[in-house]
Amino acid sequence: MTIDSTTITQTTAPLRRARVMRLPRSPKVIAGLVIVGVFSVVALVGRFFEPYSPNQTDTQNWVQHVLVPGTGGDTGLPANFYPLPLPPSAAHLLGTTVFAQDAWSQLLASTQATMFVGLIAAVIATVLSIIFGVTAGYIGGSTDEGLSLIANVSLAIPGLPLLIVLADYVPSAGSSLLIVAAIIAVTTWAYTARTLRAQTLSLRHRDFIEASRVSGEGSLRIIGVEILPNLIPIVAASFLFTTLSAIYAYVAISFLGLAGSPTGSPAGLWNWGEMLREGFANNAVRGGWWWWWAPPGICVALLGTGLALVNFGIDEFINPRLRTAGLSAKAARKAGAHVSTTLGLTPVMRKAIRAAGTAPSMPDAVLEIRGLSVDYGFGDQAVHAVSDCDLVLRRGRVLGLAGESGSGKTTLALAATRLLRAPAVITSGQVLFHSKPFTGDGPKGTIDLVAAGPHQMREVRWSEIAVVLQSSLNALNPVITIGAQFDDMLRAHRPHLGPDERHSRAVELLDMVGMNGDRLRSYPHELSGGMRQRSMIAMALALEPQVMILDEPTTALDVVTQREILEELIGLRDRLGFAALFITHDLSLLVELADDIAVMYAGRLMEQAPANALFRSPRLPYTHGLLHCFPPMHGKRVPMEGIPGSPPDLRDLPSGCAFHPRCRWALDRCKQEVPVLAAIPGRNREVACWLHREGATPPPELSLPEPEEVFRERMAQQMSPL
Amino acid sequence: MTALIRRLGVYLLAAWVAITVSFLLPRVVPGNPVAVAVARASASGDCNEKCVAAVEAQLGYNVHTSMWDQYVQYLGNLAHGDLGHSWTENAPVGSLILSYLPWTIVLLGIATTLSFLGGSVVGTLIAWRRGSWTDLLIPFSTFFAALPYFFLAIVLVLIFGQTGTLLKWFPSLFGWDIYTTSPGLNLPYIQSVISHAILPAATVILASMAGFILSIRNQVITTMDEDFVIVAQAKGLPGRTVIWYAVRNALLPVVANFTIAISLIVGGQILVEIVFNYPGIGFHLYDGLGKLDYPLVQGVFVVLTLVVLAANLIADVIYVAIDPRARQAA
Repeated sequence: MTIDSTTITQTTAPLRRARVMRLPRSPKVIAGLVIVGVFSVVALVGRFFEPYSPNQTDTQNWVQHVLVPGTGGDTGLPANFYPLPLPPSAAHLLGTTVFAQDAWSQLLASTQATMFVGLIAAVIATVLSIIFGVTAGYIGGSTDEGLSLIANVSLAIPGLPLLIVLADYVPSAGSSLLIVAAIIAVTTWAYTARTLRAQTLSLRHRDFIEASRVSGEGSLRIIGVEILPNLIPIVAASFLFTTLSAIYAYVAISFLGLAGSPTGSPAGLWNWGEMLREGFANNAVRGGWWWWWAPPGICVALLGTGLALVNFGIDEFINPRLRTAGLSAKAARKAGAHVSTTLGLTPVMRKAIRAAGTAPSMPDAVLEIRGLSVDYGFGDQAVHAVSDCDLVLRRGRVLGLAGESGSGKTTLALAATRLLRAPAVITSGQVLFHSKPFTGDGPKGTIDLVAAGPHQMREVRWSEIAVVLQSSLNALNPVITIGAQFDDMLRAHRPHLGPDERHSRAVELLDMVGMNGDRLRSYPHELSGGMRQRSMIAMALALEPQVMILDEPTTALDVVTQREILEELIGLRDRLGFAALFITHDLSLLVELADDIAVMYAGRLMEQAPANALFRSPRLPYTHGLLHCFPPMHGKRVPMEGIPGSPPDLRDLPSGCAFHPRCRWALDRCKQEVPVLAAIPGRNREVACWLHREGATPPPELSLPEPEEVFRERMAQQMSPL
Repeated sequence: MTALIRRLGVYLLAAWVAITVSFLLPRVVPGNPVAVAVARASASGDCNEKCVAAVEAQLGYNVHTSMWDQYVQYLGNLAHGDLGHSWTENAPVGSLILSYLPWTIVLLGIATTLSFLGGSVVGTLIAWRRGSWTDLLIPFSTFFAALPYFFLAIVLVLIFGQTGTLLKWFPSLFGWDIYTTSPGLNLPYIQSVISHAILPAATVILASMAGFILSIRNQVITTMDEDFVIVAQAKGLPGRTVIWYAVRNALLPVVANFTIAISLIVGGQILVEIVFNYPGIGFHLYDGLGKLDYPLVQGVFVVLTLVVLAANLIADVIYVAIDPRARQAA
């Protein structure tokens, strides 16, 4: 049972191969494959190893003859014997039945028939459901409506009762493997059809399918070449599920005596259900003859477990969230991490917690990240998403964090607030929060968030450090009202407030972001994207936090709304005085908004400077490239250059400076040594680049004068008498 | 409301399909047992015309009028609750089924509810404490989910049943003690009914709960990575509120897929009733099959389908109640 390398996620070829290689490595999948494999082999060759014919009876030798009490001997009545089956022995590995048949031979014969019926039924059902599902999903419209209705109707009718009446009325059902399989298929196809229809529907609207249609490819070709390969994981999972259902169905109708008796005429086939039926009907349970009835039942359960385990693997393959959930605590422990399993706390490597100094490095620092490193995964598999980052957020200021997607900026921010989940793990560093609450009752003094416990984190979260994420639709709980979400949060942090006070506070907060208090009664899906983000911001402001972490808060919005919300945020910052860490890939946005900017690349901080200085005179080649990606709104024209190449794969970083393959000024040294962030001339400037170290001369693009100097020079020129 | 009405439409259609299938089977499948019985009756010299007519009437199978007339008559009979006449019990199928139905529905309702609730709690626990010892419950549940209901029933009878051989704790045959109590509103009878329901209910709960545990675990794990759960944690909400946020949302797809679960449970329970000789619909279906009582078998099929459709409708109403997006669309 192998899974084709084509997946629904469109990834690059080598990655895909790696994923497929990973699938069988899970112990669950291996166990499942082994079980299914053993049963398949037995089904194929088992019949050749049957010591006896399953129907063969030898009433003289294969049963014990027990004298019926009150007969024979002195009673005067003719001796009357009743048969008792034999327990397992060398001659009969699984003993005998009460009919003097060999149970082991029956089990081997049964394995074959049961698995073949299951397999054939699953093949018929899968073919049916592919035809139905793909046609409905691909053609759409009224065809889809009609076919979906058929599937839904047949899904609503309970399978086993339908199977029972069908098997009861179709005369040859008992003896024909094909007819039994076909009847089972008719009762099991609909679920898969529905799943495939939904998947085809979503694929149909993907760009690559639309592209093929526009380029004039035929429908059949598109279905065969573009759609079906993408359905393979789902078809595989459904196929196993259907096989399992079919086996249950076959066993069930055999147990009911509807699949024909192997010794009757026309003869049915030996199968696990038939063995169970005979055993149950002939008091094998009460008689304690477990060797007769237990093995077929255990076989059904084992094969079912095997198929379900393989399906587990396919599920994890389709849904990566389940895969990371399969992370074993052992791997984490081995690597020395505390894995918090009860609360939302990013795990921390034990060695990461150290009693370093906690004094603020600047008098007005509020959040200080020191040497923070974050991995995804443990041991050899670990991907270093953030390496040794230092960042200081100062009270009441806006620090911008910029970088391409995948540069680790969100990971850095979420790890600092301990919101990332395993397999993310903080491997080293400190996150010092120097708390001076605006309101009286918050925690005071310095707290290392990396070393903090769940209780301490709950105190700091939201009341002192609030977070606004990119997609507000996903950030709000979809099934409860905005008001209820305000309420839950206020109740947790301000237990002394009564319901009315909480409500009026929520109305006040919505008003602050320009929303009507009526909106508290709305569910998230009833609000526009801008409204949702406003209510999220209102919620973030509710407890007057000292720090706001804004992770691309406006990226998902249209330009006009984006502008409005940003202006509102700036106004609120001025009024309320919180410090903000603003994460975005849009450097030009930060220039207007931020006091200072830090640029990240491949998990490292590469440049830090006051916003204007960084914008006017970047020192890092990467920053220079970023600045030339976005056309400036006003000012003089700059040629768009962009950055050649694409962001690096964190699993396979280039040696030395991670940016060197894309850097047009790269030195030999850049290919070997990793540059660290260090101060360079200029006010509050730091850069991690060998071009700015002794012995190198930075190119003119990267040594533009500081904006203050330019300004001073201009002033001097104007002042100087001509 | 439109969404609910649409679902209702699907169920009405499903009911009609089930009724039509049970009408057509004895009439169009060649060589089926009912046709054979009628043919044998009319061919034999011992059965005159009236006798053949009587056999046909009993089977609800009249070949002398057109198919359409038969169909109209069949539907008309159904509308009056007339499901035909049982040969073996010599009573109207409708009233027989009505007397079996409470046993099945009470057992099914209680077992499904308990198993869904228990599965939700355990599944959530496993998802929430992933990576801890609770993960051991996953292979365990997988095995239980794979056990055929009736096999589990046999094992429970063996271990706990009074007709078994080991502990003999609970009665494991019939719906009540038919020797020492008589049906009615008396304490011994009610006690006896409850103790007789323990093993069948335990079987259905154990067998179906494992499936719920696994699907709810998967859903909760998927939901836990949603932003709103991470934000709930960022808000410093108490752990139980965060769990509730995740679970409320994780239950939606499970309830939406209830159709499949209920169909499997009903199928399983039929066989469980047989193992315990539990006097519900499933056991009498088995009885009818063994005695070739076709009117009874057909009637049970139609009624079971209606029961399942009603359960689906309840699940749909619950879904609309717990998902505001569906409520708005509904």
